[in-house]
Amino acid sequence: MASSTSLSGVESDNRLLSSLSIVPGVLLLAGIGYAAKILERSLNTYAKTHHWTFPNIEYVLWAILIGLVISNTLAIPKVFQSGIATYEFWLKLGIVLLGARFVLADILKLGGISLALVVIEITLSLALMTFLGRLFKLKPKLISLLAIGSSVCGVSAIIAAKGAIDADDEDSSFAIAAILALGALALFTFPAIAHSLHMNDVSYGLWAGLGVDNTAEATAAGALYSDSAGKVAVLAKTARNAMIGFVVLAYAIYWAGRGQAEAVTNKAAFLWKKFPKFILGFLLISLLVSFHVFSRGQVASLGNLSKWAFLLTFAGVGLRTNFRAMSKQGLRPFIVGALGEILIACLTLGLVVCANRIWGL
Amino acid sequence: MSTTENTTSSSKGNLLSLDTWAVIVALVLALAVRFDILKNVPW
Repeated sequence: MASSTSLSGVESDNRLLSSLSIVPGVLLLAGIGYAAKILERSLNTYAKTHHWTFPNIEYVLWAILIGLVISNTLAIPKVFQSGIATYEFWLKLGIVLLGARFVLADILKLGGISLALVVIEITLSLALMTFLGRLFKLKPKLISLLAIGSSVCGVSAIIAAKGAIDADDEDSSFAIAAILALGALALFTFPAIAHSLHMNDVSYGLWAGLGVDNTAEATAAGALYSDSAGKVAVLAKTARNAMIGFVVLAYAIYWAGRGQAEAVTNKAAFLWKKFPKFILGFLLISLLVSFHVFSRGQVASLGNLSKWAFLLTFAGVGLRTNFRAMSKQGLRPFIVGALGEILIACLTLGLVVCANRIWGL
Repeated sequence: MSTTENTTSSSKGNLLSLDTWAVIVALVLALAVRFDILKNVPW
C-alpha cells in the first residue's frame, strides 16, 4: 500500500514537472506573439504620424518572421522545446473558439462548397502526387505519404498514415520535411499571388484552405490576407481535415491487401480514431452561437480569445521552421513535393475561380 | 513532432488526445465567458 502510494506520488510529481516544462516555451511563444502585435501597432502609428507610406504588415507576418529569425540564427535552448511544441494545441484551441464567429448557416453554405471542392481536390492531388512519385521513382510508401500529406492535412495526416500503412521513419521524415518546407513557402507566395489577382476574401480563404497543406500554415496564410479570409481558410481546411480518416483508411486497406501493413478489422473504430475531434468542438461552439447562448459582446470575447490562441500558433510556425534542417532531408522528395504543390495550387486556384463563377462567392 | 502525434491518437502517458484537450479548454473558456467570469476580452 505504502509503495503504491509513493509510486503514485512520484507519478504525479513527474506529471507536474512535465507540465511545468512547457512554461518557458509557452512564454516564448506569447512573448514573440505580443511583440508582433506591438510592432504592428507602433509601426503603423509611427508611419501615420510621420506621413510615411509604409505597407501595413500584419502581426501574423511579424510573429512568423520573428520566429523564423530566432530559429534560423540562434540555437534554441532545450528548455524551450516542449513549450514551443504546444503551438499545435493553441492552433486547435483557436479553431474551436473560432466557431463563435460562424453561425451554422455560414458553415452549411461555405462548408458545403468547401466539402465539394475538397473531394475534387483530394482526388486530383492523390492522382497527381502518385504520378509524380512514380515518375521520379520514389519508394512506394513515401509516395503514399506524400500523396496523403499533400491531399489531406499535412503533417497530421502523414503521422496518422505512418502507423496505418507501416511506413518507416525515414520516409515519414522526408514527407514531413517536404510538406513543412512547402508550407513555409506558401505563406509568402499565396497572399502575393492573390493580391496580384485581386481575389476577394472568400475566394482567397477557400484557396488557402484547399491549397496549403498544414493546418497551421493554412490558417496563417489566410490571416495574412485578411481577417475574414483567415476565417474562411480555417473552415475550408477543417472540411479537408475531416476527410483524413477516409483517405488513411483507403491507403491502409491498399497496403494491407499487399501484405505490407496490418489489416483493418473495425473500420468504424478506425475512422473515429483518426477523426480530428476538434472539428466537433468547432461545430458545438458555432451551434451555441447560432442558438444565441452568448450575447454579442460574449461572441466578440470568444473571437478575441481565438485570436490570442492563433497568435501563439503563428509564433510557433516561425520557430519550428528551420531551413537548415529541412535542406538535409534530400532533394528528390522535395522536388516531387514542390512540383506537386505548384500543380495543386494551380488546380485549386482554378477550382475556386470556377466556384466563384457558379456560386458567386 | 510529438504534439502532432497526439493529434490523431492519445499518447501513452495521457488519457486524452491533444484535440480533446483543446475542446475541453475551449469549452471551459466559453463557459467562463458565458457566465461573465471572463468579461470583454481585449484584442
